[in-house]
Amino acid sequence: MVDRNAVEQYLPVVLLLALGVVFAAASFLASSLLGPRKKPTGAKVAPYECGIVPDREPPSRFPVRFYLVAMIFIIFDIEIVFLYPFAVVFRQLRVFGLVEVLVFALVVFVAFLFLVSNGALNWGPGKRLQPGLSGRSSESTIARIGAGPDEPGRAA
Amino acid sequence: MSAVAGMVGPVLGLVLGLVQHDPLYSHGVGWFVWVVDAVKVLVAFAVLLVAVMLMIWFERKLISDMQSRIGPNRAGPWGLLQTMADGIKLFFKEDLLPERADRFVFKLAPYLSLVPALLIFSVVPVGGIISIAGHPFELQVADPPIGILLVLAMSSIAVYGVMLAGWSSGSKYPLLGSVRASAQMISYEAALGITVVTVALITGSLSTRAIVESQATGVWDWNVVRLGVVPFVLFFMAITAELTRPPFDLTEAESELVGGFHTEYSSLRFALFFLAEFMNVITMSAVMVTLFFGGPDGPVPHLPSFSIWFPVVWFVGKVMVFLFTYVWLRAALPRLRYDQLMNLGWKFLIPISLGWLLLVAGFVVDGWWGLGIALGAVALSGLLTRAFAIGRNRDEERGRLAAAAPAPAAQVATAARPGLVRAGDGPDEGTAG
Repeated sequence: MVDRNAVEQYLPVVLLLALGVVFAAASFLASSLLGPRKKPTGAKVAPYECGIVPDREPPSRFPVRFYLVAMIFIIFDIEIVFLYPFAVVFRQLRVFGLVEVLVFALVVFVAFLFLVSNGALNWGPGKRLQPGLSGRSSESTIARIGAGPDEPGRAA
Repeated sequence: MSAVAGMVGPVLGLVLGLVQHDPLYSHGVGWFVWVVDAVKVLVAFAVLLVAVMLMIWFERKLISDMQSRIGPNRAGPWGLLQTMADGIKLFFKEDLLPERADRFVFKLAPYLSLVPALLIFSVVPVGGIISIAGHPFELQVADPPIGILLVLAMSSIAVYGVMLAGWSSGSKYPLLGSVRASAQMISYEAALGITVVTVALITGSLSTRAIVESQATGVWDWNVVRLGVVPFVLFFMAITAELTRPPFDLTEAESELVGGFHTEYSSLRFALFFLAEFMNVITMSAVMVTLFFGGPDGPVPHLPSFSIWFPVVWFVGKVMVFLFTYVWLRAALPRLRYDQLMNLGWKFLIPISLGWLLLVAGFVVDGWWGLGIALGAVALSGLLTRAFAIGRNRDEERGRLAAAAPAPAAQVATAARPGLVRAGDGPDEGTAG
């Protein structure tokens, strides 16, 4: 390894960061100079939709599982944070380090077992126990949307 | 734009002032180091941009070969310049800002995506150590002692780019795509982190240069062999999910989410997301080569003036293998379902990677410890299988209860608008409480 002081070790990273930011900013500037500058129509700036006019706000509520996953992730992330220093000095700690990390991993593993057996990591509906909606068939759907041949008035 | 330009001066002055009073800077940095670093950074940046250009062409061409199509063949020889033509075209396109967008965050997100992708490459060793005017320099942009942590940190920051891009668009498809992407990325980051710990454990250092040097004694010392193949396989799966490449590309599943988190982005802002995506594929392949395949290690023939460049050729060759593999995966595998994705990440990759880490630690101490941990892992995996079964049963039990006595809200909705309630909604709400 080449011997370096701290600034020399990180200087290229900082330079690359600056170059990346400047490159992106310069690209945006060039694009704003080169691109068309007329005011976009209302349809263009409207949220994307496949051919229909959106009539409601984007959802602000999400299945609670996404939050649950984020919280469970923190448990494991903290575990990993503690594993890195252990990994670096493991050769010096030998058996002591191994026993310590085994105990630590076991504690996290018990938490993991609890989560799994609680069904916290199951995603989405399990088995379909209800067979769809009772009494629903292709005839009922045609009748509901009013496209049946016996109701010509509602189809129009 | 002008507001940003006005801020640059004072911010730069503040940063320079801080650096000058930093005790770490007390020795100063010689102009020679500045020049070499500047050259390294510029070369790395240019090489990355060209590599991305070629990678996009390579992917399109290879996919079309695999699908019996011709692919891009107009711009330049064999369509080589197609990517550049597309990029130049995007400069001239209208830059739209959706009316419901959060303007500041919408403009910030491409930076948060591109800059981490660039910085990851800075710690990847691409060759040996060369000597310029008596000063030794690695063929590597930077070699900080925390090298591999920088990779993990940057891949975490990239999640912010995706999340904020989707959230700030004020539109439903980007939002859904970005929430999916964030959940997916953090789920696989855990497994990714643990497999990297395995590499750090065997090396005893976090510096990427040290990791490469510890593997430099031959193919049998490459981490992929030395650690057993399992950590590499886990890392490869986790990194594929982290890159949201097929078969884990649920975040931009075209048939359901249009374009995923960058649906509302147009013009050059879209181009930068695209650039970042492919740059990540290249840099992460390079990280994989560094961690498990000895980086630039390989047989070097004794040719006086070329021996410096042979490691670079080895490095590029190894990275190419992975780039090919990614395209191959995209052509060959169907996309996973979201619950399959989450099950794979949480229920398989994390326990296996943790168990394998302890196994490696045990065998490093001595064979009997390793054997003991292996037996313990087998016993605990039995326990884990039982826990999975209990979890599944509990879910079914909840489903049965919900079916027997449907929640009042679901009942009203069913009565009011038949056909809008899925059969799965009942059990889903039951587990929330």
